Amino acid sequence: MTLDFTLNGQPVSLEGVPAAESLLDLLRHRLDLKGTKEGCGVGECGACSVLLDGKVVDSCLTPAWKAAGREVTTIEGLARDGQLHPLQESFLSAGAVQCGFCTPGMILSAQSLLSDNPDPSDEEIKIALAGNVCRCTGYHDIVLAVRRGARALRGEAPEADES
Amino acid sequence: MSRYLAPDNLAEAVAIRAQGARIVAGGTDLMISLRQARLEGQPQPELILDVTRIPELNRLELGAERPFLGAAVTFRRLKTDPEVARVYPLLAKAASMVGSVQVRQTGTIGGNAANSSPAADGVSAITALGAVALLASPRGQRELPLSELITAPNKNLLAADELIMGFWLDRLPDGAGQAFSKVGRRQAVAIARLNVAAAIAPELREVRLSVGACFPSPRRLTLVEELVMAGQPGPELWRQAGRAAATNFTDVCGWRSSAAYKVEAIARVTARTLATAWAKAGGAA
Repeated sequence: MTLDFTLNGQPVSLEGVPAAESLLDLLRHRLDLKGTKEGCGVGECGACSVLLDGKVVDSCLTPAWKAAGREVTTIEGLARDGQLHPLQESFLSAGAVQCGFCTPGMILSAQSLLSDNPDPSDEEIKIALAGNVCRCTGYHDIVLAVRRGARALRGEAPEADES
Repeated sequence: MSRYLAPDNLAEAVAIRAQGARIVAGGTDLMISLRQARLEGQPQPELILDVTRIPELNRLELGAERPFLGAAVTFRRLKTDPEVARVYPLLAKAASMVGSVQVRQTGTIGGNAANSSPAADGVSAITALGAVALLASPRGQRELPLSELITAPNKNLLAADELIMGFWLDRLPDGAGQAFSKVGRRQAVAIARLNVAAAIAPELREVRLSVGACFPSPRRLTLVEELVMAGQPGPELWRQAGRAAATNFTDVCGWRSSAAYKVEAIARVTARTLATAWAKAGGAA
């Protein structure tokens, strides 16, 4: 059987994917996309978050075959034509990245939130990111980055929101 | 070569299951156990049946004469569907407290039941709603109350060739107030230490109380329900009910090291949850 799906806008066709393989292992080991991280491996840390048809899932808990016929977006798929995605820009400008291990998952969770809710409150941002754990530096600047990225995606000018 | 099959109809799914397939819905429990098995050098399944594309399992018919909740309905859908919020707000609340956005996106109510963890928030919620599981196999369909299907931690009576289609739920009386509470180590991504689901009809005509995570299998605390129905609604009755629920816990589970905490937590969270349900039924505090 062939596993066909769309990965970051490109069609992918794979042979010989075992039934029990996770989407995480498929991305990292079969497709060599190392932006998706393996943290806990049991759905508690969110480092392996990817978008499946635009909605965030833990790729460690998702059988690879669930991607069949669907669209998978990893952190590698956010930048377009060499331009970082507004959330990637806002994570940099807000200083929301320290070691960076949680960052791909944080950004994809944020992207999933903003596609449902373009103007979330801080509380809604925190709930949306509750499944993504940062062990470096805390969440203050991450929430700020999501707020800033949301404004950029809405086409609004930055505000003085450094609180 | 192992196979992963995701049929779009029940007949095919039943036939695949009968070949000994492991069932996956969201994968949020199965993938963890497969990972553990792999780390221990155990074999991986040769045949996996994905049940999430079967129409019957995605049915959500809560306004029906006999309300039905399909096994493949996700926690995200339970959290966001307006009909769930209207008919069974305690279920919407329970779903909102499961795992994380990621887990709710794929995790299902049927998987919650099949995994049979005593801490399953969805199971606790639908136990209060009188859930009767509808099971399918090549021998036909059968019904079994959820509280009988799940017998012990991670143990159930699902036959090797059976799958869960969904759950029949009771209709609650008009105006019934509902509440759901959970105690975990943090607000999100927490395995429940305790969860309590309650529904109370106006004038105490009907009282439902299910307490989970501290019992080995899901159950309504019928003795406590009867105590409440016979009482005068108010803080003293909720306190009495809470203490009765705690006594029920020690009667069933004995006095383990964690009981000193659990007895207090059960008593207070049960009292608080009943008070909330009563207030939502329009009763005076």
